[in-house]
Amino acid sequence: MRRVVVVSVVVLQLGFVARGYWSDHKEFGFQMFPESSTWRADVVRVTADGRRVPVELPWSGYRWDELVQDRGLSYPSVRHHADAGLDNQLAFLDAALDWVADNTPRDRETRYLEASVTAWHNDDPPRRELLRSGVRGGAR
Amino acid sequence: MTAAAVGARPHGLASRLDELLGRAVSMRGLALLRVLTGPVVLLHLQPFISDGLDGRIYSDAFYEPYAAWYPELTGAAYVGLLLLGAVAAVAMSLGVLTRLATAATFAIVAYNVFLSTTHFHNNRAYLLIVLGLLAVAPSGRELSVDAWVRRRRGLPALDTSAPGWPLWLLRFECAAVYGASGLSKLVDPDWFGGTVTWQRVVRARDDLEAWPLPDWAVSVLTDRGFHTGAAKFIVLTELFIAIGLWWRGSRYAAVWVAVVFHVSIEASASVQVFSFLAIAVLVIWAVPSTRDRVLRIDPTAARHRRLGAVVRGLDWLARFRVEQAPAGSPLEVVDRDGTAVRGGPAVAFVLSRLPLTAWFALPALLVPAVRRARSPRAA
Repeated sequence: MRRVVVVSVVVLQLGFVARGYWSDHKEFGFQMFPESSTWRADVVRVTADGRRVPVELPWSGYRWDELVQDRGLSYPSVRHHADAGLDNQLAFLDAALDWVADNTPRDRETRYLEASVTAWHNDDPPRRELLRSGVRGGAR
Repeated sequence: MTAAAVGARPHGLASRLDELLGRAVSMRGLALLRVLTGPVVLLHLQPFISDGLDGRIYSDAFYEPYAAWYPELTGAAYVGLLLLGAVAAVAMSLGVLTRLATAATFAIVAYNVFLSTTHFHNNRAYLLIVLGLLAVAPSGRELSVDAWVRRRRGLPALDTSAPGWPLWLLRFECAAVYGASGLSKLVDPDWFGGTVTWQRVVRARDDLEAWPLPDWAVSVLTDRGFHTGAAKFIVLTELFIAIGLWWRGSRYAAVWVAVVFHVSIEASASVQVFSFLAIAVLVIWAVPSTRDRVLRIDPTAARHRRLGAVVRGLDWLARFRVEQAPAGSPLEVVDRDGTAVRGGPAVAFVLSRLPLTAWFALPALLVPAVRRARSPRAA
């Protein structure tokens, strides 16, 4: 029994370390300070009538920096270091767009949120990427 | 090689593994780690509790559950659970109902970390591993209120030795943390080539210039060529710690380097509880046996008495038995292998084996006179 537990933990740990090379979040992968990469994003609300409103402007009583406070996402328009790597950072930004779209019930005009991301992987040239939340129902 | 011999080998390996995992060893290192981990848990929970008491919890802002079925406490229940976690951490550290307190601390910290992907950080993963292994090890039989209560009641002390598998597993995890980190940098050309550290420092140049550093130092630290070498040094340091901890010949050097490494990280980056935890975990690399070295002091000599008091107060890993020698005897330490060291080298040796003074005293063991005194031939 003891042997099974110990071997299982060792195999699991080695598996997590290997998974860290392709997973966004790298739990138990222990890749510390992995990149010097940076990123910034223009995040907008795309409304039912087609307007693109920056999230820096409060809406329906919401503020982006109050809704999204963690993982360096509060001020996306400012260029930031991607603490745990670009893939990790952009996965969080993507999830944050969905969370905001799903958790702002007073907002009746936004169809979806969109982030135009510029990312610099270490000293590589910048790459651009578009992230979108799911489409919200009931927007007018 | 015969077919029978080939067939016997896996059985032999399994037996050797079982013997290693079941071998009774001292739990003193884990007991000390338990004591040290309580404050680390409090430090970890503090921002969550502080926010909770101010009326803000994880679900008030962006969070991302790992699984839809994961039970989510909200409001006062969540804050209450965190406070319970803090109480459990204090009880774990003090050794009050140690097994229960350690398991509760582990469960509450794990619950909170797995509430959201945003809660997960490397230092918290390491904390979970440490708490999980402390919870399965009988680490409360010494350095605990539980043990004190037993003594007060006149009950026989519980055996402070136990099967060593939690200790070996924690050693593996400790080495894995350094090894995984070093390996990921080794195989990344940007890291190993110096690009990552160079860019980080250049972008933080304003912060660097705010430090009391001479211009030439800032110039060196922001020089691309410097980082070509420095990055390799960092990567090899991590790998040296991961590997060096396993062998007695390199273990003290690895521990010494690890302390410098963590202090440097703490001074230059925000890593939450990682530095404190990682330095505390280093105590598990002490040989898991206790009172197997003898310190002989002359009770009539003030210097001897002072060293005896220091050892009684700071020998948290229980390395030494302190014995009285006849008046006029030199200060003497007898190591596990019977080697006797006297005078100044003995003081250096003793201080190098106490957790709080080891880092300062270990370099003294490299002084030729101390080395000569410690060689078996000198004894």
